[in-house]
Amino acid sequence: METILRDFGFVLAFVVLALLFGLIAVFIPRLIAPRTVGAKTESVYECGMDPFGSAWIRYAALFYLYALIFIAFDVDVLYLFPVATSYVRGGKPEEFLALAVFVLLLVLAIAYAWGKGVFRWKYEDL
Amino acid sequence: MVAEELLRGLEGLGLEIREALYERQGFWFDIHCPRDRIVEVAEAFDEKGYWIEDVLCVDWRERLELLYHFNHWEDPRRLSVRVQVDPADPEVPSICKVFPGAGWHEREIHEFFGVRFKGHPNLAYLFLHDEIDFYPLRKDRVPIPEEDKRLLTSMDFSPEEEDAFWINMGPQHPSTHGVLRLILKMRGEYIERAEPVLGYMHRMQEKMAEVRTYAQYYPNTARLDYVGPLAFSQCFVGAMERLCGLEVPERAQVIRTITLELNRIASHLLWLGTFLLDLGATTPYFFAFDDREQILDLMEGLTGARLTFSFFRIGGLYEDLNDGFLEGVARFIERMKKRFQIYDDLVTGNIIFVKRTKDVGVIPREVARRYGATGPTLRGSGVAYDVRRSEPYAAYSDFPPEVVVRQEGDSYARYLVRLEEIKRSLMVLEQAIERVPEGPFRLQKTPKKPVPGEVYFATESPRGQVGIYIVSDGTDKPYRLKWRSPSFSNLAAFTEVVKGQLIADAVATLGSLDLVIPEMDR
Amino acid sequence: MEVRGPLIKFGVLEKLLNLARANSLWPMTFGLACCAIEMMATTAARFDPARFGAEVFRPSPRQCDFMIVSGTITKKIAPVVRTLYEQMAAPKWVIAYGNCAISGGPFVFEGQYNVIEGVDKVIPVDVYVPGCPPRPEALLEAIMKLEEKLTGYRRFPTPERRW
Repeated sequence: METILRDFGFVLAFVVLALLFGLIAVFIPRLIAPRTVGAKTESVYECGMDPFGSAWIRYAALFYLYALIFIAFDVDVLYLFPVATSYVRGGKPEEFLALAVFVLLLVLAIAYAWGKGVFRWKYEDL
Repeated sequence: MVAEELLRGLEGLGLEIREALYERQGFWFDIHCPRDRIVEVAEAFDEKGYWIEDVLCVDWRERLELLYHFNHWEDPRRLSVRVQVDPADPEVPSICKVFPGAGWHEREIHEFFGVRFKGHPNLAYLFLHDEIDFYPLRKDRVPIPEEDKRLLTSMDFSPEEEDAFWINMGPQHPSTHGVLRLILKMRGEYIERAEPVLGYMHRMQEKMAEVRTYAQYYPNTARLDYVGPLAFSQCFVGAMERLCGLEVPERAQVIRTITLELNRIASHLLWLGTFLLDLGATTPYFFAFDDREQILDLMEGLTGARLTFSFFRIGGLYEDLNDGFLEGVARFIERMKKRFQIYDDLVTGNIIFVKRTKDVGVIPREVARRYGATGPTLRGSGVAYDVRRSEPYAAYSDFPPEVVVRQEGDSYARYLVRLEEIKRSLMVLEQAIERVPEGPFRLQKTPKKPVPGEVYFATESPRGQVGIYIVSDGTDKPYRLKWRSPSFSNLAAFTEVVKGQLIADAVATLGSLDLVIPEMDR
Repeated sequence: MEVRGPLIKFGVLEKLLNLARANSLWPMTFGLACCAIEMMATTAARFDPARFGAEVFRPSPRQCDFMIVSGTITKKIAPVVRTLYEQMAAPKWVIAYGNCAISGGPFVFEGQYNVIEGVDKVIPVDVYVPGCPPRPEALLEAIMKLEEKLTGYRRFPTPERRW
């Protein structure tokens, strides 16, 4: 019980330090940096001109599919992390096979999307 | 020959045709056309396969004269069509349905002279902007009337469909090679339409020519195309020499050829570095600029400047060769021949480069003809047209360069054309440095005031065909001076080609056209 | 334009910050005309500004320290220059590179209608570099003058002691 608490204590310290690191990097420039504000400082940068209209428009549904495939890739990577840490003492072929089957199941989602042609963007699909 | 057939057809239509003297004027035939029949004449030219070179206007105070220059790839004799317009009723039918490349020229004439073109889809501002409320190139200050002002500011960018949006590939962009603004209508990643807005670097070169003498105006020619300034310089001094009938000494011609070819190599190397930088490759940039520095050292020893050389003079050169120039050029040629291996290893076979430029931005022959594209942009699409072969100037008739042609028309073809052109320029240089004749480098007496008349001269800059049209009225300042800029016509062809491309492909195509913006904006 | 100084300011901190800023000045690519080519030649391998800290040429003004205005300012591009200058984050500086940016250059004549004679009519300038176009060594000298303006002393007496 105590060792578990100690391990979590390490994680908590790590989280607190990471937060502090980010907050200090944001807070200190507010104190020591000069600031100039002109008429166009807060506007969106578009090569020096004013943008036409707002960016909240309806866009093609193909971008939604793009985001979904990104999620599939992301989930792959996420699950690979704990699997890799538990695959520490290698050597037995059954462990490798179990890991390979696991990764294959994750990859099936991406293979399906590839077969359906999501990665090829044609002009007429928009 | 094609020109004779066309002229017989035009004579049959009842138009007046006069023969001009090429050695003094730069044209072969002058065709006088009443303003209502210009579209018929343009269709006759289109049928015979002519391409449109330039459309320009001269203000003669009691009348405005429009000149349309046409030329042909196989029969390269320039024909000029003249239309007289009354300034009180300046309306002419537009030929942009026949030759879309004339569309931008007509827009320019409209905002600089006030001539209205009937049937033109979009006569809004191309170069100028709201703060200028007169027609700049007219001799008297003519204010812009109300309905014309409304026409000029009539371009609007509201979203037409719900999922399309307008985006600025703005004046400050690392890939537009200067201050070019492209307003793109995007659907997702695809470009539906590209609308260039020029004029951010409009430095009034043509108006300045009317208040400066010929000698005072000469340094301006180097500032038009700063990467290959000697082609523009050669154009200007060549036009003056043609107008006054001056015979430039042989030594000056050969040295001009040597420096022109060195300039061409330097310009292609700069293009190589920046084109690959646009595609994301930062390494070839340093190699290309290193080679370019060798050339600039040679030119600095000869002319005193690194970038904007003012080396030619009307009648010859500014100074003779310095010691060590020809040996330096020979050493450079030897060095450069070994450097091609680096470019081939690094770039030409590189899978990323090939995938980004093959079949990207294909310019078909007919599009290039109707828009007046020239230079490597045209030679990459299968047309062997080079002004150095069709209208030789300087010493190019003694050392004719080989014309490099590729058939595919995509950006990869244009890259290969330019790389080969460097090799061909090296061959011309090798021949030329052996045969530099002795003699004077400059004419002793050149006239201060040229004879009255008009002249056209064309040269081949690394970007394409440069032309200059000078009207002289016998004083020491030009009456009208008009530049024909290759990047202007190439960019017009680009707007046709970019429809339906991804924006990353548009960047690759724009880079492969080798645009220099101040020569467009003049 | 509203300018506000830092909240905490004392001698040693200012000196340290200015030293840090001077040694890593990041330019913005604002090449307009012929001088832009000389600016590009400066970034190439022969006259390298990376050895002075000015390595990263960013196109976006949000990520830069100073702007090299190289080329003619016309009436059409003046609002763009102003917008980009305002979009840069303080502290920021401007180098006017070339005759056109200093005072209109060779394009000033009677009856001219499009050129603004000098970029300092639009934004405040810190260093002026004359020439048409100035040599790349002049740009390096300008960067060192800017460093001298920040820290008070020069890094080297001359950019290149030997040609």
